[in-house]
Amino acid sequence: MAQPSSLLNDRRTLVFVLLAPVLAFFIVFNTIPTLWLLGLSFYNYSLTSGMPPEFVGFTNFVNIFFNRNGIWSDLSRTFIFVACAVSLQTLLGLMLGFLFWGSRNMPGRRIALTLLFTPMVLTPVATGTFWRFIYDPTFGALNALMGLFGATEPINFLGDPTFAYWAVLAVDCWMWTPFMTLMTLAALGSVPKAELEAAEVDRLTWFEQLRLIVWHHGKFILMLGMLLRTIDSFKTLDLIIPMTNGGPGQQTRLVAVELNKQAFQSFNMGWSSAYAVLLLLISIAMTSVFIHVLNLRRRRERS
Amino acid sequence: MSDRFRRGAYYTLLWSVSLLFFTPVAWIIMSSFKTREEILATPPTLIFTPTLDNYIELFTQNQNFLQQLGNSVVMSLSAVVIAVLVSFLAAFCFSRFKPKGTNFLMFILLSIRMLPGPAVILPVFLMFANFGWKDQHIPLVLFYAMFSIPFSVWILKGFLDGVSVRFDETGLANGGSWFHVIFKVVLPQVKPGLIAAFIFNLIFVWNEFLFNFVIGGVQTQNIPYALAVGTYSDGGLNWTFIAALTSIYILPPVAFIYLFQKYLLAGMTFGTVRGEV
Repeated sequence: MAQPSSLLNDRRTLVFVLLAPVLAFFIVFNTIPTLWLLGLSFYNYSLTSGMPPEFVGFTNFVNIFFNRNGIWSDLSRTFIFVACAVSLQTLLGLMLGFLFWGSRNMPGRRIALTLLFTPMVLTPVATGTFWRFIYDPTFGALNALMGLFGATEPINFLGDPTFAYWAVLAVDCWMWTPFMTLMTLAALGSVPKAELEAAEVDRLTWFEQLRLIVWHHGKFILMLGMLLRTIDSFKTLDLIIPMTNGGPGQQTRLVAVELNKQAFQSFNMGWSSAYAVLLLLISIAMTSVFIHVLNLRRRRERS
Repeated sequence: MSDRFRRGAYYTLLWSVSLLFFTPVAWIIMSSFKTREEILATPPTLIFTPTLDNYIELFTQNQNFLQQLGNSVVMSLSAVVIAVLVSFLAAFCFSRFKPKGTNFLMFILLSIRMLPGPAVILPVFLMFANFGWKDQHIPLVLFYAMFSIPFSVWILKGFLDGVSVRFDETGLANGGSWFHVIFKVVLPQVKPGLIAAFIFNLIFVWNEFLFNFVIGGVQTQNIPYALAVGTYSDGGLNWTFIAALTSIYILPPVAFIYLFQKYLLAGMTFGTVRGEV
């Protein structure tokens, strides 16, 4: 007896039907463009020159590798940014997470947490714009505030090469410390109450409790949080464009900022494609690490 | 008594921390009620008579603003609805049938979101430019949908893995079709996952600037685009406009995290961590 839905009851057809829309989206908007990108990275192609693409082999890659002030300084700047951002945010997030741990019954907890989590859902471009307003040397609130504490000279935070990088980093920390707080709270929430009570009965010191119980249960969520931050801060762009757009000089030129400039302001498509391919390799490496940690966690949960 | 006092002190401390993080946002919202002279005053004024002029001006004087706001609303909603629906089907397939290459596909999906924005959009830009899709709503919405799929699939697969296969089997044994099982039996059980995916991606597309800038244009521009290219600057930045604009624009995301705080964690970690804070 053939039922009307018998076609859908065939497993392979069903798998195909379910996956088809996502695959279609990806082939059109991702696979084809990525292949295009790979191909283009071997061409010399600028949109401004009006010349057709010219095959140049590995020249783009060679240029990127051997250019002084090129990818190496961008990458080192980016990795310092990532390292500082992730460690500062993790430390602060841990502190705040532990601070908020016992606040289940706090009056207005939901509003307080909303205020705390606000920075991470704000439009990065808007955030960057209004921090520029706050950092402004003449009418900015921060300089006025420092004036109250005895600073005499106003500081041009975003225009001064010594401060710009750290000023941007500070805003990133302001935005993403709440995220690490969220992750810390989640990690602490995954610690079973019973084990803590048992530890209390066994008279373990708080340090032993922390090391033996809290760390044991919470470490994976915390690690996931740090990995997510690592990957996200590697991509930082939206925040920087309105604040400094890579300047002053190249002080805040992270990889994403440089690629954005070369591709969409100078329209060096061939060179940018090669640069993007290199970033793609880095991203794939980071994704692998992420999935590896995730699998470790899964395996542990199962056993 | 002293216990109550300690509790009070503790809560006060927590509230101060939250307020401290909110201060910069509060400052911009406060500034939106100032006149231009008050905004540019040195030292900044703390006491002033609030005025609604900036908002009135924003809505009445600027035709672009309503168009940009409309673009933001329509594009983010439609892209995310498409993405969540499509992702749900794929996530169901990955979770139940585990076809060959599931892990590889999940990996590829994720790696797209790990790539810096310009690297993602560069080839798409060339494609859009060649096909004449630039500055059109539908291609842009579809691209946003594509970009929202990876996290949605991850979030939903996490939730679907938590729904027992018994439900499917019971549904099928009782004569239901797969269609019935997927939409009537399983779908209602992963509602938290759907909400998490929806909210998280909605906030993302709402806040997105680069893609809109590169493959969009004048017709499709949203508010972040306008902010970044300085639409509101006539010789120096027009801070009254920007303050009012920003204050309005950040309202929906903030309202979402208040209303859907339960789902924030699942969304932010794309389903790898579930639970409440």
